Amino acid sequence: MTAAPGRVATVLSMGNDTTTNDVLLLEDGPLVDADELEATLGWTLKPQGLCKDDACVIVPDPEAIRSGDQLDVMAIADLLDRPAAADEKSGLVAIGAPRDRRRAALRDLRAPDFVLPDLDGMPVALSDHRSKKRLLVAFSSW
Amino acid sequence: MIAVAIDEDVEKVRGAADGITYPVLIDADHVVTELYAISNVPTVVMIDEDDTIVHPNWSAFASDTFREITGLDSARQLDRIRRWVRDDELHMSAEEVKSAVDDLTPDEERARLHFRIAANLRRAGDPDGAARNFDRAAELAPHDWTIRRAALPLQGKDPFGDNYFALAAEFNEAGRPYHGVTGH
Repeated sequence: MTAAPGRVATVLSMGNDTTTNDVLLLEDGPLVDADELEATLGWTLKPQGLCKDDACVIVPDPEAIRSGDQLDVMAIADLLDRPAAADEKSGLVAIGAPRDRRRAALRDLRAPDFVLPDLDGMPVALSDHRSKKRLLVAFSSW
Repeated sequence: MIAVAIDEDVEKVRGAADGITYPVLIDADHVVTELYAISNVPTVVMIDEDDTIVHPNWSAFASDTFREITGLDSARQLDRIRRWVRDDELHMSAEEVKSAVDDLTPDEERARLHFRIAANLRRAGDPDGAARNFDRAAELAPHDWTIRRAALPLQGKDPFGDNYFALAAEFNEAGRPYHGVTGH
């Protein structure tokens, strides 16, 4: 499979805020060219490992994240402690949030921030209401 | 109060939110159920002024409509919420809160990702692709209501009636698994 040139991480719905929610939905399958990795995942592959800003993650087996001339974002997500799932037929790949974000909630009791649209489509973040007590209520029509 | 609909039917949610002044948000991609390990609704979390979770995922109800099914006393639950808001009174210690919610299993994580793929394929006009991924999600997390029941209306199926009772029977058979605290 050859990735389209200039491919970027695609957010297919407005519920995903890539910086705050940190979940991704990619088109065109799990393989990317090395020079597309930063636009796709926000990390770059360097001799010292996978790097983002000043942080680097060691890649224990460089072959394990390669597939031919390309990189496998599913294997890279695994190294970054993020869950990943692919639907081969459509080419969609979902990368979940770093597991640390949920562990921060469950074990350190730090509430992970998120941004979602309100009923008029305007983005609202949990952190917009910081310094107030917040009762987060998950509900549904089903 | 911040209400998050684990739903994408904005008009149905708008109907339920009539007259409400606090934020009502739409989580069509189930971001919050991943970040907070939420497996059913309603689930309530108390978050204090500096972002500390002081009460974990809690199966709490605003009325006694479902008391026959849940056995939960909504007045007692509301009273506990009021006492926290007014008097900072908590009925669980930090240590109790930390051990109250099991983390998602790898299968439950992947179920959320396949649900997200399915929901996006459905919105893109690919019902077969959506069904393929809703089915995969259901195999991975068969007793998670945010996966199984939430998928019903997105596939043109009634989330109430026979479909609900069939899911409830499977859920009861599995020992009513819930990521959080129930029954108080």
